[in-house]
Amino acid sequence: MDLSWRRVGWAVLPIVVTAAVLVILPSVWFGDSPYTTSLAVQAMVFASYGVGFNLIFGSTNQLFLCVGALAGVGGYGAAILVNETSLPMAAGLVVGTASAALVGGLLSWIAVRRSLGIIFTGIVTLVFSLAFANLLLGQRDLTGAENGLVVEGVPDRLADDHVGGYYLFVGLLIGFLVVFRALQLSHAGWAFRALRDDEVAAELAGVNVARYRIYAATIGSAMIGLTGALLAFSTGFISPATYSFDRVDVRVLVFVAFGGLGTLLGPVIGASVFAILDQQLTTSFEKREVLYGVFIIAIFLGFRRGVVYAVLKLWRRLVPTRRVGDATR
Amino acid sequence: MTAVILDGIVLGLAFGLLGVGMTLVYGLGGVLNLAYGQIVVLAAIVAMIVIDDGRATLVAAVLGVLAAAGVAVVLDLTLMRPVYRERGEERTLLGLLLTLGAAFVIGGVLSWRYPDGALYIYIGGDPVSILGVPMTRGSIWASVIALAVGALLLLFFGATTFGRGVRSVIQDEVGARLVGINPSFVRTVIFALSGALAGIVAMTNAMVGPLGVNAGFELTTFALIVTVVGGLGSVAGAFLAGVLLGVVNSLSAHYIGQYITTIILLGAAALTILIRPRGLLGR
Amino acid sequence: MPTSGRPALLEVEGLAAGYLGERVIDGIDVRVQTGEAVAIVGSNGAGKTTLFRTIAGLLPAMAGRVVLDGKELTRRPAHRISRAGIAYVPAERHLFPAMTLKSNLVLGAYPRRPDPATLELVYDLFPRLRERQRQQAGTLSGGEQQMLAVGRALMARPRLLMLDEPTTGLAPIIAQTAFTALEGLKKEGMTLLIAEQQVPLALSVAERGYVLENGRIRLSGSAEELERNPEVRRAYLGVV
Repeated sequence: MDLSWRRVGWAVLPIVVTAAVLVILPSVWFGDSPYTTSLAVQAMVFASYGVGFNLIFGSTNQLFLCVGALAGVGGYGAAILVNETSLPMAAGLVVGTASAALVGGLLSWIAVRRSLGIIFTGIVTLVFSLAFANLLLGQRDLTGAENGLVVEGVPDRLADDHVGGYYLFVGLLIGFLVVFRALQLSHAGWAFRALRDDEVAAELAGVNVARYRIYAATIGSAMIGLTGALLAFSTGFISPATYSFDRVDVRVLVFVAFGGLGTLLGPVIGASVFAILDQQLTTSFEKREVLYGVFIIAIFLGFRRGVVYAVLKLWRRLVPTRRVGDATR
Repeated sequence: MTAVILDGIVLGLAFGLLGVGMTLVYGLGGVLNLAYGQIVVLAAIVAMIVIDDGRATLVAAVLGVLAAAGVAVVLDLTLMRPVYRERGEERTLLGLLLTLGAAFVIGGVLSWRYPDGALYIYIGGDPVSILGVPMTRGSIWASVIALAVGALLLLFFGATTFGRGVRSVIQDEVGARLVGINPSFVRTVIFALSGALAGIVAMTNAMVGPLGVNAGFELTTFALIVTVVGGLGSVAGAFLAGVLLGVVNSLSAHYIGQYITTIILLGAAALTILIRPRGLLGR
Repeated sequence: MPTSGRPALLEVEGLAAGYLGERVIDGIDVRVQTGEAVAIVGSNGAGKTTLFRTIAGLLPAMAGRVVLDGKELTRRPAHRISRAGIAYVPAERHLFPAMTLKSNLVLGAYPRRPDPATLELVYDLFPRLRERQRQQAGTLSGGEQQMLAVGRALMARPRLLMLDEPTTGLAPIIAQTAFTALEGLKKEGMTLLIAEQQVPLALSVAERGYVLENGRIRLSGSAEELERNPEVRRAYLGVV
């Protein structure tokens, strides 16, 4: 791994720019509206989910249709621990994250052991999603089922309709982006690109595809779980709806694919665009559904590989530069 | 208990047809049509409109089936073209995303314009006793039609030149091209056929109970489960899986509960994937 | 290269093709007269399969032309070329594994109904196939699958039969049988274009041949000429 300052600088640049934009945003846009703030927080939460999902699906082609469930494992795990015991929030975060990482790693291990392709992995993880949702409903005493769970001990500053909460998740997102970037530039990132390009060739070249898949899934799931746990503490209240398949998974899949699978900023761009769209489209539910569908079709007919790739193609055409060791994406 | 099982079989035959439509499209092109359930609903709504307009039920049913086939062809000629140009996992993913978009569009438009839309084809007459259980005429008709269609399909794929051609494309597309078969044309025809099957399922389902405008995603889920359990690309497998899962569904819904039933069915799909990925009769 | 003045059944002019923008074969000129047997000889990677796939329409040509009896076939889709009268038997055979041997043969005639006389001809040529009519193609042995692949191609009553490495994976005795069958076909007037690594075998049945090396035609001539050619002898016949 070439660690010259210049290379590291170029690599970190997109993250720094993003961080700067996100940090300035409140003063420019939010005003004092808690509503806008909570929308922005939502966008940051989804973007964070997106980075994790991007690591699992975008980088290693494992279609995990259980993002919501993994976040739920993190969220409910953390919340129940804190509620039932007298352990501090930090412990809850650790346990929640670790549990999600464990579950994700296990799912990946199963998929790898049984050589499941995209569709089958999707179905198996979907079943997990629904089983988990059912588990939440079943264990009333612990989880409160549909009525949800109030999460104790959250400082107001960090609540999800406060700027503090916003910065909390911005911090989380930037942290995730740094981890993602570091992985991209490491031997793992090279392995990911190889196995995405041609799995058989990668295997023959000596890449232990199985190990890297489980590795990616574990880290990605940890990210998703941590986000879910932090969300629980920030909102102070969670229910199965918070982490449901309809609410989380479909969105994440679409906006990450829209932003660009495997790219660094894809999830951020995707989540932001969808947040703005959501705000604009306050029409009836059915009309939204239609527009959503039209949008999906238009995007994937046009920007097959996502916004980031489309922008990069345009950039390369407008600004022909020689890139030595192109690691930036 | 017999009543529950018989109900399950009626349901299962419909599941079977649904699965056949979906598995054919997958076997031919590697595409899972996530808009399939919405096409079923579309057929139902079209039939509903025609009936409300005062026409005969049979006319409405035929028009509904034709509408479904038509929409399927349109989908194939538009959205599926770019999908088939891709290969392997790119194709799978693009197919999933584009058909998902189509599902939102079709389902959204239908529930927007006909929010309370539902099709119910009432077949009058006294219940008939089968194995000591009184079955409504609607259920009987639905089953008979499903069986007849199933038999026709088996005949088509087993004995006709075109049908054999379809099977050949599923088994080895390059080989099919080498003997002069145009896979693209075959795919379009089969897509239309799958649409027609969706329409038929709409009609037979409506004979048993009202088919509502929001049933789309649920139907797609059932079709997916049946396809996976039966074996991707196997017509006979889809039928068999359909009947089995129909009975399972019926037993589970009766003795346990509706929500768990969905999980059990999905669990069956997951189990198939983990233990016997080629499904019941797949290769 | 001496050929008769008649226009050829198959004319390949300046054909170039390849993968991902790279040309694997270039500047290929091949002519096959009706009733001739022509061999394309070359080692692995020389481009024989790429050439055949391009003629058969499985690979789009990047330059050049393919003409069958005056009809332009360049860059047409494979199924059209098949219907125009070129039957291609690839090295991988591409049979329909879950269908019976007989169904495979029947499909060879697509879109026409199978001609009983042709079916009899195939069974006479390959008696083993008659025995195993009802067997699933996927369960046949390598040699039987090869015979089935050729038989299937014959069911289309093609003008030109292209065989890519027909002896791959066959025991030498079976390979010999296969070539004897090809001799039989030639006697019936079939036009053959055969790609083979095993030069002596190929030149035993072919009247003319082309030597393909690194994607280009290196040599061409009658079978005797090629057999006598010192380069050919050194490179392919192991003769010093």
